[in-house]
This record gives sequence, structure tokens and C-alpha cells, in this order.
Amino acid sequence: MAAEYALRMGDGKRIYLTEEKILSEIEAGSGNAADLGEIPDLSVDEIDKLAQILMMPGKAVSVEHGMEVPVTHDIGTIRLDGDQGNSGVGIPSSRLVGCMMHERAFGADTMELGHIDYSFKPVKPVVANECQAMEVCQQNMIIPLFYGAMPNMGLYYTPDGPFENPGDLMKMFKIDKARESMEHAAEHLTRDTVWVMQKLFASGADGVNFDTTAAAGDADMYGTLCAVEILRTQFPDMYIEMGMAGEMVLGMHGELEYDGVRLAGLWPHEQAPLAAQAGANVFGPVVNTNTSKTSPWNLARAVTFIKAAVEASSIPCHVNMGMGVGGIPMLETPPVDAVTRASKAMVEIAGVDGI
Amino acid sequence: MADIEGLLHEVADAVISCKKEKVLEAVEKAKAEIPPEEIIEKGLSAGMNQVGVLFERGKLFLPHVMIAADAMTAGVKLLEEGMPAGTQEKKLGVIVNGTVEGDVHDIGKSIVSTMLQPAGFEVHDIGRDVPIRSFVEKAKETDADMIGTSALMTTTLQGQREVIELLKEEGLRSRIKVMVGGAPATQAWADKIGADCYAENASEAVAKAKELLL
Ligand code: B12
Repeated sequence: MAAEYALRMGDGKRIYLTEEKILSEIEAGSGNAADLGEIPDLSVDEIDKLAQILMMPGKAVSVEHGMEVPVTHDIGTIRLDGDQGNSGVGIPSSRLVGCMMHERAFGADTMELGHIDYSFKPVKPVVANECQAMEVCQQNMIIPLFYGAMPNMGLYYTPDGPFENPGDLMKMFKIDKARESMEHAAEHLTRDTVWVMQKLFASGADGVNFDTTAAAGDADMYGTLCAVEILRTQFPDMYIEMGMAGEMVLGMHGELEYDGVRLAGLWPHEQAPLAAQAGANVFGPVVNTNTSKTSPWNLARAVTFIKAAVEASSIPCHVNMGMGVGGIPMLETPPVDAVTRASKAMVEIAGVDGI
Repeated sequence: MADIEGLLHEVADAVISCKKEKVLEAVEKAKAEIPPEEIIEKGLSAGMNQVGVLFERGKLFLPHVMIAADAMTAGVKLLEEGMPAGTQEKKLGVIVNGTVEGDVHDIGKSIVSTMLQPAGFEVHDIGRDVPIRSFVEKAKETDADMIGTSALMTTTLQGQREVIELLKEEGLRSRIKVMVGGAPATQAWADKIGADCYAENASEAVAKAKELLL
């Protein structure tokens, strides 16, 4: 009987696959990305290398010497104190303690401060508090400390915000009204994020991280790109990181363009140049994990997409790696075998600049 | 024969073009040659399925899906005018669809509702963060054939099981089918909790609902 290797399904379930099956899953996963994104498949050598990484005997694997990349964190310190199923481990700790633990114990190369709501809009009324926390953290820390939050444009729609919910309007076939609502929300999103970041930059933030850009679709991305552009003009030396919510920009509006490019339906390699154009320093591409497929399928698919994004990008790409993204299974605490294999493949095959 | 296929193609293409007048024109033309059921199944529905696929591939967007759905509904109405009494407005089935308690993710669930409706189902979308009991209550109230549950988090998946358990308690399980979906759900999960089906995306949801309810 052919040897079988311990791998996982996208939902984390343990499975055992032969080398032959691993290779065919890799080919299929890469083919799926190539088909959707209209990008090249992985080459024979890359497929072979990916299979070797997946079949390595150790439980945890690592990159080769000299191939280490910077590791930064999003979601603020919620990874420590969060208890809402979002990879947080529920340890009560202040944000200063959390940030310093990431710097001094976990080896983060940059860190970010974030509010428990982790969206720009709810930070507005507590911005003074955030500025104070930023100053205190900066006085204690050495690594670059960003301020991070989600654009989360859904918060500008009813019942959470002032503009009529486009979902409701669409259901009534009021497409133009729905689009207007999205355009208004995007304007407010730009205005609020710029305002919040002006204050935080004044309080010593080294940069900003727009996390889960486009969660509410193409207008969310539009509002974010505009904010990046304005912040770049006002703060030429600030670090601006723009990370995505999913692999494809959902076309909720369908017609919004940035720099002459329609935003709806863009895949990672098409998103990266726009982030750079707006003035971001780092782009965070995402590829979703399909829970019904194997880890070789998911990882090959993710590596294929990310490799194309890295090649298309003029700025560094720090790929999103975590529960349910980047070829990693959808589990609150992603298993170390899967995380380390996916990370190694992203660095050594996709050529990412950071994680 | 070639002509009939050509006419059906024209109907499907009109749906994909997302233009209501074009759909109505094509349906009007096809009506003279082809039975209405066949136009709905092989013309309108086939086109709508393709719209779903193009949406998932990032080639068509939500407004297009909505316009196509609206156009398809108008096409069906036009055909129903010629159908024998009693078969008119006959829905393929009644589906209650919602996102389970504790979970506010509703983008995907709403897309599923949007696609089920023009496919011929009467859909009651009960929103997000919906208490388990409300799924069952709504199903009773609407005499539903199927309940769809969406969960986007591993922590709220359990709600899908609870809906099934409550249906059993109420003695309704044999009468009401259950379809589960959302990123963390899988076929294996559906099997484990005893759901009737799992669908990965909206077009698959339509196909599976048809399989189960027809
Ligand atoms: C957008 C988003 C949000 C938005 C939701 C807006 C909205 N109105 O829906 C906001 C910002 C509000 C949000 C909030 C939160 N989120 Co969120 N969110 C996402 C995100 C980025 C995308 C989800 C999405 O809309 N996808 C697009 C749609 C089209 O796809 P879909 O939902 O999968 O639907 C398709 C299929 O699944 C299927 N389908 C869906 N439903 C159904 C139903 C049936 C019956 C069938 C057959 C099929 C089916 O068909 C659909 C169409 O193809 C995901 C990450 C990701 N990239 O997936 C995280 C994610 C789901 N969120 C996550 C988390 C943790 C949260 C929060 C807890 C964060 C926080 N700390 O506050 C809160 C949740 C609060 C709560 N109680 O629910 C985690 C879940 C982790 C887990 N434990 O599983 C994810 C995976 C991100 C992550 N990796 O950490 N989120």
C-alpha cells in the first residue's frame, strides 16, 4: 500500500492522503484559482515543491535559513483578550500589556493598537481615549505601532447608521437608490477614517492598518482607497497597510471605479496595483479556505492566487494567514501543522514579503 | 428542433443580459412554439443559473442578479397567463431562510434568497441573528416545505443543529426539509446533524432545493 500523509480538510478534520492524491488535489486547486483569476497555474516544479512541504514529516515546519519574512499582526490585541470566536484566547489583559506581549514575547515585527469594536466608525466618540492609549503604548514600545480597524461600511446603513440599507432597497428593486446609499456611505467612511487617523497620527501612531477592506463590497473598497489617497497626501511618511476581507471584491454596487478600474469582481492580483496607486505601503491579499476541500487543494489555490498578486504588486504583499484564509483550515485555533505548512509555502513558493 | 433550442437560448441569453424588455420579447416569441413549463425550466431558469455562476466568478454583480431575477419573474408571469387554471402561480415550494442566532453575517444568505425566488420558490427571508424558535414558527405559519439556515462562524454552526432538533421535538421533521449553508458548513457537517442537504453557493442551493422539493 502507498504511504499516506496526515493532512486536513478545510474544516480542520484529519485526513490521510497518498502522494498521488496530494498531487492531483494540488493540480485541481491551482487550476481552480487559474480559471477564476485568469492567471497562470503553478508550474510542475512549484507543484512538486508544495507536495514536498505538505509531506514533510515534522508536525511543524519552517522556512529555510535566510528566507525569514516580517510578521505583523492585525485585529489589535483581540487575539489575546477576544472571546468571540475570532481566534482570541480570552485572556483578560490591558491593551498595553497585549501590545508589549506581541512585541517582546511573540516576535511580532510590527503591532497595532485596536479598539474592541475594531471598526473606524465607533472609534469616533472615543478617539481621545484611543489617542491616549496610543501615546502610552508608544512610550513603552520599540517596534512600529500602527492603529488598526475595519472600514466596515455596513455600519453606515440602517439600522446601524444613517443611510437606507441597500440590501432592503435592492429587495424592492430600487437599484439606483441602493447605489446612492452605498456612495453616501463610502463618502462618510472616507471622511471618518481620515478624521480618526489625523488624531492618531498626531498622537504618535507609526501607521494605519485598514483591515478587512471591502467586507461590505466594492463601495467599501472605494471609500477605503479614497481614505488611503487622502492620508498619503496629508502624511507622506506614514505607513499605510491595506488588507482585504475576502479573495474577490463583492459587486454590491457594480459600477464604482478607482483610477479607471471597476472595483467589483477584482481578484487579488488586480487589487494590489490599486492599493499601491492609492498610496498604500503594504497590501494584504486574502484567499478564502473552502471547508469542503482538502488542505492541498486549498493551499495550492491560495498560493496560485497570492503568487500572481505578489508579481503584480509594486508594494510588499503581506498575505493574510489565519482561520479560514491563506489555505489554513477554519478553526478558532488553527492547527500548527497546517499553519506552518501554509506559511512556508506562501514564503517559498508565492514569494510573499511578509505575513 | 434546432429552432426550439434557438428560442430557448434566446430566452436564457436575455436573462443573462439582465434586460427585462429583452426577456419579455424572447418569452413572447418562444410562447407560440414551446410549452410554458419548458420555457421556464430550459430558458428562464437556465439563464438564471448562469447568472448565478457569473456572479460567483465576479463577472456579474448584485444589481445585475436583482435585475435578472426581476426580469425572470416578469417572464414567468407572462407565461402563466397562458397556463391552464390551477397551474398558475404554482410555486415549487415554500422556503424559510435565515441566519442563525448569534450570527449577523447575512450577505451570503441574502444572495441565496435572491436566487431561490426567481427559480420558482416562495421565499420568506427572516433575516439575521434569528432565534432558533423563529425558524420553526415561521415555517409553521407559512406551511413551509423547507428551512434554510446560514451560519458564517464555527461558533454559531451549532444553531443549525438546534433548528433540526426543535423540528423533531415539534414532530415536524418528516414534513420539512432542512438545507444548511455558510462558509464553515460542509457536507460532512450536514450529514452529522441530519440535514437533508448542504450547498456551497447560491446556484448550488437552487439546484439542491429543486432536487429535494420537486
Ligand atoms: C463581511 C464579514 C463580516 C461583516 C458582516 C456583514 C454582513 N451584513 O453580513 C461584519 C463586519 C459585520 C462581520 C462581523 C463579525 N465577524 Co465577520 N466576516 C465577514 C467576512 C469578511 C466575509 C463574509 C461574507 O459576507 N462573505 C461573502 C458571502 C457572499 O459569502 P458567504 O457568506 O460564504 O455565502 C455564500 C455561501 O456560504 C452560501 N451560503 C451562505 N448562506 C447560506 C445559506 C444556505 C441555506 C445555503 C444553502 C447556502 C448559503 O452561499 C453564499 C453565496 O455563494 C468573513 C471572512 C471571509 N472572508 O469569509 C468574516 C468572518 C465570517 N467573520 C468572523 C468574525 C469572528 C466576526 C465577528 C465575531 C468579529 C468581531 N469580533 O466582532 C463579527 C460577528 C458578530 C456576530 N455575532 O455575528 C470570522 C468567523 C470566525 C469563526 N469563528 O468561524 C470570519 C471567518 C473572519 C475570520 N477569519 O476571523 N463580519
